[in-house]
Amino acid sequence: MARESSLITIIGEDGYARIRQTKCLLVGAGGIGSELLKDLILMEFGEIHIVDLDTIDLSNLNRQFLFRQRDIKQPKSTTAVKAVQSFSNSKLVPYQGNIMDTTQFPLHWFKQFNIIFNALDNLAARRYVNKISQFLSLPLLESGTAGFDGYIQPIFPQKTECFDCTKKETPKTFPVCTIRSTPSQPIHCIVWAKNFLFNQLFTDEDNKSDDEENKEWGTTDETEIKRIKQETNELKSLQKIILDKDFDRIPYILQKLFIDDIAKLLLIENLWKNRVKPLLLDESIIKNNCHDAKEKISSNKVWDINYIIQNFVAATKKLSQRMEREGSHIEFDKDDEDTLMFVAMAANIRAYIFHIPMKSVFDIKQIAGNIIPAIATTNAIIAGLSAITSLRVLNLLDKFASLNDVTKLNMAFTAMASNMTTNRYLSNPQVAPPNCKCPVCVQVVRGVVQTSEKLNASTTLKDLISLLKTKYGYQENDDVSILDIKDQRLLFDFDFDDLNDQTLEDLKFINGTIILLSDDSDNDLIKKPVELYFNINNNVDKIVLPDLHIPVIEQKIPQDNNEENEVLTVAENGEIDQDVYIIDGDESVSTVDNNDKKRPREKEDLEEIIQIAKAPKTS
Amino acid sequence: MNATKNNPAKQTLGEDEIALYDRQIRLWGLEAQTNIRSARVLLINVGAIGTEITKNIVLSGVGHFSILDNNHVVTEEDLGSQFFLTSADVGKPRIDTIKDKIVDLNPRVNFSIETDTFENLISKNNSNYDIVIGTELTKDQIIQLNWWTRSNNTPLYVAGSNGLFGYIFVDLIQFDSRDKKLQSIKQSALGSISPNKEIVSLEVTIDPEEPKKIYENLVTKNKYVPFEKLLCTATLEGKLTKRQLKRVSPILPLTLTYLKDTNMVSSNVSLFREELENTCEQLRIDPNLILKPEYVEQFIKQNGVEFSPVAAVLGGAVSQDVINILGKKQQPLNNFIIFDGVTLDMPIFEF
Ligand SMILES: [Zn+2]
Repeated sequence: MARESSLITIIGEDGYARIRQTKCLLVGAGGIGSELLKDLILMEFGEIHIVDLDTIDLSNLNRQFLFRQRDIKQPKSTTAVKAVQSFSNSKLVPYQGNIMDTTQFPLHWFKQFNIIFNALDNLAARRYVNKISQFLSLPLLESGTAGFDGYIQPIFPQKTECFDCTKKETPKTFPVCTIRSTPSQPIHCIVWAKNFLFNQLFTDEDNKSDDEENKEWGTTDETEIKRIKQETNELKSLQKIILDKDFDRIPYILQKLFIDDIAKLLLIENLWKNRVKPLLLDESIIKNNCHDAKEKISSNKVWDINYIIQNFVAATKKLSQRMEREGSHIEFDKDDEDTLMFVAMAANIRAYIFHIPMKSVFDIKQIAGNIIPAIATTNAIIAGLSAITSLRVLNLLDKFASLNDVTKLNMAFTAMASNMTTNRYLSNPQVAPPNCKCPVCVQVVRGVVQTSEKLNASTTLKDLISLLKTKYGYQENDDVSILDIKDQRLLFDFDFDDLNDQTLEDLKFINGTIILLSDDSDNDLIKKPVELYFNINNNVDKIVLPDLHIPVIEQKIPQDNNEENEVLTVAENGEIDQDVYIIDGDESVSTVDNNDKKRPREKEDLEEIIQIAKAPKTS
Repeated sequence: MNATKNNPAKQTLGEDEIALYDRQIRLWGLEAQTNIRSARVLLINVGAIGTEITKNIVLSGVGHFSILDNNHVVTEEDLGSQFFLTSADVGKPRIDTIKDKIVDLNPRVNFSIETDTFENLISKNNSNYDIVIGTELTKDQIIQLNWWTRSNNTPLYVAGSNGLFGYIFVDLIQFDSRDKKLQSIKQSALGSISPNKEIVSLEVTIDPEEPKKIYENLVTKNKYVPFEKLLCTATLEGKLTKRQLKRVSPILPLTLTYLKDTNMVSSNVSLFREELENTCEQLRIDPNLILKPEYVEQFIKQNGVEFSPVAAVLGGAVSQDVINILGKKQQPLNNFIIFDGVTLDMPIFEF
C-alpha cells in the first residue's frame, strides 16, 4: 500500500490525478492556515501557494503548531513551509506579503489558481479576496474562528452567496458624551483613555479636535458640549509637560484630569439628575504615590488605586522620555508595555472616580487591543472542514456526491461549541443563492481594463471618462461619477471636475487600481454600476476597456447613514459584542436535516473574522 | 467524578506560561488553565486521529501526556495521513520515531511512552490517568478498555473513522457540568432536560456592568452508559419525531453496525448488510428510507481508511471536550457523535 492509497480509495485514480494537477492559493499561515496547509499537503494537492504578511509571535504558539519558540519574529509563510517539508509531496511556494498588494499580487497572478482558501484574520483582506474571486470566477473557501466559534463557507461566484452577501457587523461606537462626560461601563473608560487621552498627550496629529461639528454628541446640552470642547483645548497644555519631560508636574496631569475637570463636570447639574455623581480623586492619593512602585503585582489582578497611581506616573515618565526619540509621536500598541500601562492606569483611575468596576491590565489589554481568543482545536476543526469541502467544490467526489447543483453544498458552523444547540456538533445549512441586494456580487458589473504606464501618463481623467461613456453607452452629457475603490476617493461627479485635467499617472492609477463608474442621472431607470480593475500590461498601445453587458436597473433612493457621524469607535472592531440571537433554532433531539434553508441572518463580525453568533441554548 | 484526581499540588502559572497561553487563557481563564496543567492524559494509538489529538492536547499545555501505541510499525500508508511521519520512518516503531517531535511541540508538557501493553494495562487494578482516549480500536478493545476506565472511575473518549465518516463515543460515567449562560426567552428550569441530562442547580445572576444581562448559572448532571450497553440498547424511539426519523443520517446505522463487529466489513460483507437491517430495526428507523445505497457502498469501500481532514475534525472535537472537562468549562459531549464528511453533518445522539 502506498502513501496515496487511502486518498485514492476516496476520490479514485482519476480524482487523484486531478488533485495532483490542482493549484491552490492559501491566504494566511496563522491559526487556520497552519492547519489547512497540513491538510492540503496530506490531500496531495499538486501545488500550494501560501501568502502571509505576519511574523511569528509568542502568543501564536498555543495553536499554530508549525511554529516553535526559536521561530519567533520569523515570517510565518516561509517558516511554515520549512516546517512541513518533512511530510510534503506538494510543490510549496511561500510569499511574505499583503494579499491586497497589487504590485506583488496582481490580478493575473491569481488566475493561475483553481481554488482559493481564505485563512484570514481581518475583514478588509477577506472582502478583497472575495472580490478577486468574483472578478475571476474562482471558487473560494472562506473560513474563520474566534474562541470556540468557527465557520466555513464555500463560495461559487455568481452561483452562491458571496462573503459580502450577508451584512457584517460594524464597529461598536459610543456617543461623545458617554465617553467624555458620563461613562457607565469599563469600556467607556478604556475608550476615553486610549482614543482620547492617549492621543491628546502622545501623538502629534493636528486634527485632534477633529471636525467637532459632525460628532454624534449623544446630547443637546450646549453647556456640556462647550465644556467638552474647552477640555480638549486645555489638554494641549498637558502635552507640554510631556514634551518638556517636566516630571515634577506629572502630579498636575492627574490633578487636571481627575480633580479639576471632574469638578467642572459636576457643575453641569443636568447630567447628574439620574446618575451617581463621580467623586474627585483625593489629592493626598496623588501626593502619596508619585514615586515608582516598590513591588510587582500580577497583571491578572485588579490593582489598588495607590498602586495604579504609581504605575500611571511611571508609565507617563517612560513615554515622555521616549517622545523626543520617536518624533513626538507614539501610537498605542497593545504589545508596547508603556502605552498599554498608561491606558490601563488612566482607564482604571477614571473607572474608580465614576464608581465603575476597575479591570486588570490583562483584561484591559484584550479590550483595548481587540484581542480575540484563539485555540488549536477550533482551528483544526474549521481547517479540516474547509479541506474536506474542497473535495466537493472541485467535484472530486463525483462518483457518489456529484456537484451538479452548487447550492447543494453545505457550509458549517460550530453549533454546539457556540451554544446554539445541544444536539448537533455542527450546523450545516446548504449555501444560499446570491443575495439580490449584495453590492459586491449582484449590484455591480465587473471587468478588467488593459492599460500601460505610458498610456496612464498621457491619458487625462477627462479622456478616460469620455472613453468610458462611449464604450458603455452613455450620452456625452449624462451624469456619471467615478470613485477610486481602495481609498473611497471621489475622482469625478457632476459638481466635482477639479481633477479632470490630471493624468491617470497623476491620479496614482497603478496596477490593481479599481474604480467604480456609476450612473448619476436622476432618472428612475439607471445603468448598473461598473467596477473596473486596471491591469498594467505594457504590451497595449491604447487603453482597452472590457466588453460588458450593462443592464438597466431601478434607481434606489440613498438612505441617510448616521454611522458616518459617530466618532470614538473602539479601534477597528470594538469589544466583543455579547448580544445574542438564535441562528439555528433547531427543534429538539438529533436530526439529520440537509434540506434546511435556515440561514443565519445577521452574523457577528469581529476582528479575527468570525460571523458566528453567540446564541442561547435552545433546549 | 473529579477529573484531576492524581494531581500534585496545584501551582500557580508563571508569567511566561500566561504569555504563551494568552489566547486560550482569555477564553477559559487562569483556573481552567491551571487544571489543565495538572492533568494526566493517556492516548491509545497514534494514527491519524491520534496524531491530531496529540497535537491539540500537547499544545494546550496539559501536565502529563502519555501514548500507548501497541508496537505499531510505520507503513507507507501512514505517511498519507500522519504529519509527524516522514518516508524515512517506514518500517520503524511509530512511537519511537515521533517522540522527539511531540516533545519539541511543547517542551513544557511532560511526555512519556506507556510501556505496558494494552492487555497489561487494562488488567491492572488502578490507573495513573485522569482521562483516557482510545482511537482506532476494535470492538472488543473498546469494551475491555471501557470496563477498565469504569472500574477506575476515569473518563473515556473513543474515536475512529472510515474514510469520510467517523464517530466519537464518550463515557464520563457521571459528570456535573457547570455553565453560565445568558437567559433566553425560554428560561431554564430544574429537572430532566434530555434522556441523559438533568439540571440539578439553577441560580440567576445579573451582570454588574450591564444590568440588562441576566445569567443562569447551571449545574447539569450528565449520565452516561458503557459502550457495551450502548451497542445493544441504542434506539431513537421516543427521542425523535416521525419526520425526524425519516431524515436520520445513514452514517448512524452504518457506524453502529460497524462497531458491533469491527472486522465484519472486511471479513463478511453480506453479513454486514444483514446486520445493518437489524440495527435499523433496533434504532426504529426504516432501512429502505435511510440506507441510501451510495452511502452503504462508500462506507464499505472506505472501511479502515484514514483521511487527514476528517481526523482533524474528530481529533479537534475530542481534544476540545477533554480540555473542557479538565477546565470545567462548557457542556461535555454526551454520548455518541457521528460525522459525515460529504454533508458536514455531525449530530449528537444521547443513547
Ligand atoms: Zn454577494
